Amino acid sequence: MTEQTLLERPLAVPAYSARTSTARRRLNGLLPYAFVIPPALYLLVFMFWPLGKQIYLSLTRTRLANPNRSTFIGLRNYERLLDNPDFYTTLKITLIYSVMAVIVGVAVGLVAALALNRPFPGRTLVRGILLFGWAVPNVAAALVWLWIFNERSGILNTIVTGLGLERVSWLTSTEMALPSILLVTVWQVSPFVMLVMLAALQSVPEEVKEAAVVDGADKLNVFKSVTLPHILPTLQLVSLLVMVWSIRRFDIIYLLTGGGPVGSTSTLIVKLRQVAFENHDLGLSSAYGVVGLMLALSVAAIHALFNHRRQKMSSR
Amino acid sequence: MNRISRLTGACAIIMAFAAAAPAATQGKVTLVVSNSQWLDALRGDALWKAVKTYENHAANVQLESLGIPSKDYGDRLMTEFGAGQGPDVAIIQEGVFFALADAGLLVDVGSATEDVTLNDTAKNGIVDGVTLGVPWQRAAYALIYNGKLTEAAGAAVPKTIDELIENAKAVQDKTGAIGFTSRHQINDFSGFYMDFQSWAYGYGANWVNDKGKLTINTPEAVKAVTEFKKTYDAKVIPVGDDMPTQRTRFKEGRVGFSIDNSGGTLNIGSGGTIKSADMHAAPLPFPNPGAHQQIYVVVNANSKHPDEAKDFLKWLMSQEGQTELRKASGPDMLATDVPLTEDFVAANPWAPVFAEIAPKTRSVLIPGYEVETTQIMRPVMEAVEEVLIKGTDPAAALAKAQERVDGMF
Repeated sequence: MTEQTLLERPLAVPAYSARTSTARRRLNGLLPYAFVIPPALYLLVFMFWPLGKQIYLSLTRTRLANPNRSTFIGLRNYERLLDNPDFYTTLKITLIYSVMAVIVGVAVGLVAALALNRPFPGRTLVRGILLFGWAVPNVAAALVWLWIFNERSGILNTIVTGLGLERVSWLTSTEMALPSILLVTVWQVSPFVMLVMLAALQSVPEEVKEAAVVDGADKLNVFKSVTLPHILPTLQLVSLLVMVWSIRRFDIIYLLTGGGPVGSTSTLIVKLRQVAFENHDLGLSSAYGVVGLMLALSVAAIHALFNHRRQKMSSR
Repeated sequence: MNRISRLTGACAIIMAFAAAAPAATQGKVTLVVSNSQWLDALRGDALWKAVKTYENHAANVQLESLGIPSKDYGDRLMTEFGAGQGPDVAIIQEGVFFALADAGLLVDVGSATEDVTLNDTAKNGIVDGVTLGVPWQRAAYALIYNGKLTEAAGAAVPKTIDELIENAKAVQDKTGAIGFTSRHQINDFSGFYMDFQSWAYGYGANWVNDKGKLTINTPEAVKAVTEFKKTYDAKVIPVGDDMPTQRTRFKEGRVGFSIDNSGGTLNIGSGGTIKSADMHAAPLPFPNPGAHQQIYVVVNANSKHPDEAKDFLKWLMSQEGQTELRKASGPDMLATDVPLTEDFVAANPWAPVFAEIAPKTRSVLIPGYEVETTQIMRPVMEAVEEVLIKGTDPAAALAKAQERVDGMF
C-alpha cells in the first residue's frame, strides 16, 4: 500500500476546480437570465398579453357580458370611430387636456423646485406641504375638490361671492369644466415634477454656476446657460411622464364631471369606459384604447427622437 | 421537554379544531347573494336580515352577502358573469337583467314561481317565454316633501310644474332651505336618465313608436325637456350637488320638495334629522304617471348550486318570504301584493302614495330596446344637459339626439 504524499494530493484538486469553475462560469452565464426572466414574465403576463388582447378585441365585435364570444370584423370598429364626429371632439379634448397639463404642471413644478432649491428656514416643512397633493389618493382628492367646486357652498364660490362677484359654475359650465379639471390635475402633478426637478437642480455643479457669475452672467443667464441645459434631459423625461399620465387619466375626470357637461371633458379614457360599460361594446371601446395607446407611443417616440438628437449634438 | 409537550398539545388542539370546522359545515351549501342595497344604511341590514331568515327553512344552505356600491354594481356583475364567475344569486336592476339575459348568462327560474300568483312586476322577468328573473322590488317615483318646512312657508302640495316652482320658491324664500332637489348632472348618468324618465313619461313621451322606431324628438319629449329647463332656471335646485348630497340635505331637514323613488325615500327617512313622520308624498306634478326602477333576483348560469339557488328564490316568492321582505322594503312594490302594515304607514305617512302609484308607472327601459336603453339615453341626456347649460332650444337639441340615435342602429 503506497502512501499518498502531501505533494501528490493537490494533483486531484486542479481537476476538481476546473469542473467547479466551468460550472460557475455556466452559472454566471445563466445568472443574467435568472434576473431578467421574472420581470420579463411579469411584463408578458400583465402588459403584453393584455395589450395584445386589447388590440385583438378592437378587431372584433364583442359584448361586455360575452367577452369570450367574439366575431372578427377586421377594421370595422376603427371605421366606426373615424366616421363618428364625436371621436374628433374627444381626441381634441384629450390633446388640449394633456398638453395643458404638461405646460402648466411642469411650469408650476419647475418654479416650485427653483424656489425650494435655495436654502431658507422651514424649507423641509414647505417641501413636505407641497408634496401633499401628490400623496393624496386620486379618488380622495377628487371628492375633496368636488366640495371645493360646489356651486352653492364650495369654498371657491364663497371667496368669489365674498369679492362681490357672481358665483362660478366650476364643473357645470362648458367653459369652466375643463380648466377646473386642469386645476386639480396641476395640483396633483406639480409636486411630483417639483420633486424630480429639485433632484436634478441639486446635481448642477456649483462651480460651473460660480464660473458663469465670475464671467459676468446675471441670474437669468446663469439659468439659461448653465442650469437649463443641465436639467433639460430630466425636464423632457418628466414632461413625457406627465403627458402619458394625462392621456390615460380617468379617476379625477370621471369623478368630477363624468365627461360632461355636454361632453366638454370627455377624454379618450372616459369615452372608453362609457362605450364599454354603457353600450356594452368591448370591441369599440378597445379601439378607443388602442388610439390612446398610439397617442402615448407617439409622444414617447417624439421624446426618443429629441433624446437621440441631443446625444448626437453633444457627441460632436 | 415540558415546553415541547405543551407545544405538541396546542398543535393537536388547533388541528382538532381545524378538522372539526369543516365537519360542522359539511354538507352545507353556501350561496353568495349580491346586492348594492346591502350597503344602504339601516335598510341594508334590515333587508339582509329578512333574507337570512331562509336559513331557518333550509338547514343545508348558508347565505353569504356580497355588497357592492351601486355606482359600480352593474359594471362589476356584467364583467364577473361574462368571465364565468360572479355570485350565485344576484339582485339586479332591470337594465343589467336584460343585458345578462341577452348574453345567456341566467338560469331558468320558472320553477320558483309555479305555485304563486305574481303581480305585474313579474312581466319583464320573462324573456322569450322563459322566466329568467323573479321580482325583488319596484321603486316608483313620487314627489316627496318636508311637512314642517312646507307648513312654515305656507306652501301647498303642487300638482303642476308651475305650482312646484312657486311653492319651492316659497320654501326657499321663507325658510332659507333648498326649494327642490333633482338629479341634473351627467356625471351621475344612470341615475340622471332614470330620474328623467319620470319627466318624459309624465308628459306622455314614448321613446319608441308602435312600429319599433325610436322617437326621440316628439312634441311630448320636447315639452318634458322644456319643463325641466324651466325648473332648472327657476334657481330652486342646488346646481352642482350630486344625489347623495341632495338626499343628505333632505335627511337634515334642509329641502322642501324632491322627486325620488320609494327606496331613496326610505333611506332619507331612516336615521336622519328629519323624522319619517314629517315626510309626505304626492303624485308627480305631471299630467301622466312617471317611471319606476324594477329590480329582479336572478340565478347565475355559472353557479355551482343552481338548484339550491332556485329553492331560495322559491322561498322568496312564497307568502313567508314576501312577508319577511315586506318588513324591510318600505312601500316598494313586491312580487306579490303584500299590503303595508298599519304600523309602518303610521310611522311613514308618505308610504301609501308610493304603493298606490307603483302599479301605474312605467319601466325606465325602452320597450324592445331594453339592452340598448343606456346607449340610446346617452345622447338624449346630453341633449337635456345642453338645454340646461347652454340654453339650446329643446326641439333642436332633441332633433340632434334623434340623428345620433338613428345613426346607432
